[in-house]
Amino acid sequence: MSLKKPISMTVNGVLVNAEIEPRRHLVDFLREDLHLKGPHLGCEQGACGACTVKVNGQIIRGCLFLAVQANGAVVETIEGLTKSGALADLQESFMRHNAMQCGFCSSGMLLAAAELIEKQPKASREEVREWISGNYCRCTGYHSIVNAIVDVLEARAKGQKIKPVVAHA
Amino acid sequence: MELNGEQLIAAPIPDVWKGLNDIDVLAKSIPGCEEISRISPEEIHAKVMFKIGPVRARFSGKLLLSDVVPNQSCSMAFEGSGGAAGFAKGRSRVELKQAEGGTLVSYTTEASIGGKLGQIGGRLISASAKKIADDFFQKFATELGGEAIALDSGASGE
Amino acid sequence: MKAAAFDYIKPKALHDALSLLAEAGDDAQLIAGGQTLLATLNMRLSEPSVLIDITDLAELKGITLEGDHLRIGALVTHTEIEDSELIAKHAPLLKAAAPHIAHRAIRNLGTWGGSLAYGDPAAEWPACSLTLRATMIIQGPAGERRISADDFFIDLYTTSLEPDEILVATEIPLATSQEVFYFHELSRRHGDYAIAGLAALAQKQGDILSQCAFTFFSVSSKPVMATKAQDLVNGQKLNEELIGKAVAAARAEIEALADITNSAEAKQHLIGVLLERGLKHMLASMR
Repeated sequence: MSLKKPISMTVNGVLVNAEIEPRRHLVDFLREDLHLKGPHLGCEQGACGACTVKVNGQIIRGCLFLAVQANGAVVETIEGLTKSGALADLQESFMRHNAMQCGFCSSGMLLAAAELIEKQPKASREEVREWISGNYCRCTGYHSIVNAIVDVLEARAKGQKIKPVVAHA
Repeated sequence: MELNGEQLIAAPIPDVWKGLNDIDVLAKSIPGCEEISRISPEEIHAKVMFKIGPVRARFSGKLLLSDVVPNQSCSMAFEGSGGAAGFAKGRSRVELKQAEGGTLVSYTTEASIGGKLGQIGGRLISASAKKIADDFFQKFATELGGEAIALDSGASGE
Repeated sequence: MKAAAFDYIKPKALHDALSLLAEAGDDAQLIAGGQTLLATLNMRLSEPSVLIDITDLAELKGITLEGDHLRIGALVTHTEIEDSELIAKHAPLLKAAAPHIAHRAIRNLGTWGGSLAYGDPAAEWPACSLTLRATMIIQGPAGERRISADDFFIDLYTTSLEPDEILVATEIPLATSQEVFYFHELSRRHGDYAIAGLAALAQKQGDILSQCAFTFFSVSSKPVMATKAQDLVNGQKLNEELIGKAVAAARAEIEALADITNSAEAKQHLIGVLLERGLKHMLASMR
């Protein structure tokens, strides 16, 4: 029963057509078929957040979403969001605060943070912590991540930019 | 996990005892029972489909009876494999006593569930076991033509 | 782990979905948000041969104000409830509860109807639907039927839904200007399954509460209302002494079930803690 289904979706701005088994998760399709290794696989139960990607403008768990369900959808991963600059200030802030060590959680963490900043621009530190509780980090102990996100919220509220850590050519 | 309980069945002791040892009655009483066969006087094999919420796990297991005192009590050891879903094993003791209205069936069970079902389903194991036991006795009583009358069953903790 | 293979169909109309479901029977499972189902399939705790995707069904969508009640379609996501102005105005208990459900990424897909249809004892929406005295609207081969939340939740993961039926929507009476509510969940980390939770609602007049609804979740095999505690509080002057009595009554009347993290005694204790906090919150709003 490996009847494949034809699907069509936009991934990071590019139209993608494929024939895939219904049981294939979106995150496996992105990683294995489209070689977008940014989103990671952690628990495959929706708890760890490493597989977080954006579908139709919202963050979702790539492991709890079938590729067939993404038919006709707009999908964005860390690769596309980096290229578009949508995450630029968050990424600079993460670097400033050493909010990344092994990097496994970072893709999901950045996507979750981006949705927080969009939906709750006045979030308090406590609200930031609650929001990112769906993204597990085994390395940093979370403080640097929370600091990085709080900095971006404050900068945006003042209409300021986050100073780049590295001088760009 | 421990599950202890009591059920009052509106039927005389010999009927209840006979029913508990009758493969056909058990086949109709065990929720989700798909196959059941008696290998020997002490050994029963069964295939049961557990359906709880989103879970549909098919278990193949065996039951070994011991310390059998007819019309009174018996012990059983059971173990089952649910394939990729996990496995279960445990021990149970069942006692029958005369009571007003019929037969009082008391049972004490100790079980462990391992594998995925144990990990994911861990928080609901007690509640699931209690429900399965309750469903079993409802059906069992109906099979005997009597009734299972609810008592405080005092399911105790982990 | 990866799910076992299955087929996938996405009907466009409700009657098609119902026929497919009736035909496939036990071999099919419905998928809406999939946040519970896909985790289950990933672990191979179920291996259906076909998934029926109901997310195209129009009758199951939307939050609409209909006279004296709010209609919430089964496909409404937790995030839609969290962000809805209609909900904020007419069912603020739901807005208070929504952020407690798992995490945002899961709330963006998980549905109101899915939570109600599973009836997980730790879930927020079943408890809220009892407290709000909701009516469930169900479609099956025989047509539409309606049932109160009170009669809908029967046992562990067991609702009144037959295998060939689909939950379409619920109707919730509108919030009044005299109502006061309290929602809280105790858990080790934000987003975890609750150790114990309370969805409480009452009408207040001066220093008296009436029509009290105190629904506890994650303490038993299904959400449970503390009816004796409710009866004690209804129509009486609310003060510290009455709160003490109500707390004792709730602890005595609910038979808590242990789970993997907490004993029945711990849950019994927390029932009282939650009710005390809830009633004190309501008392404070009267001063």
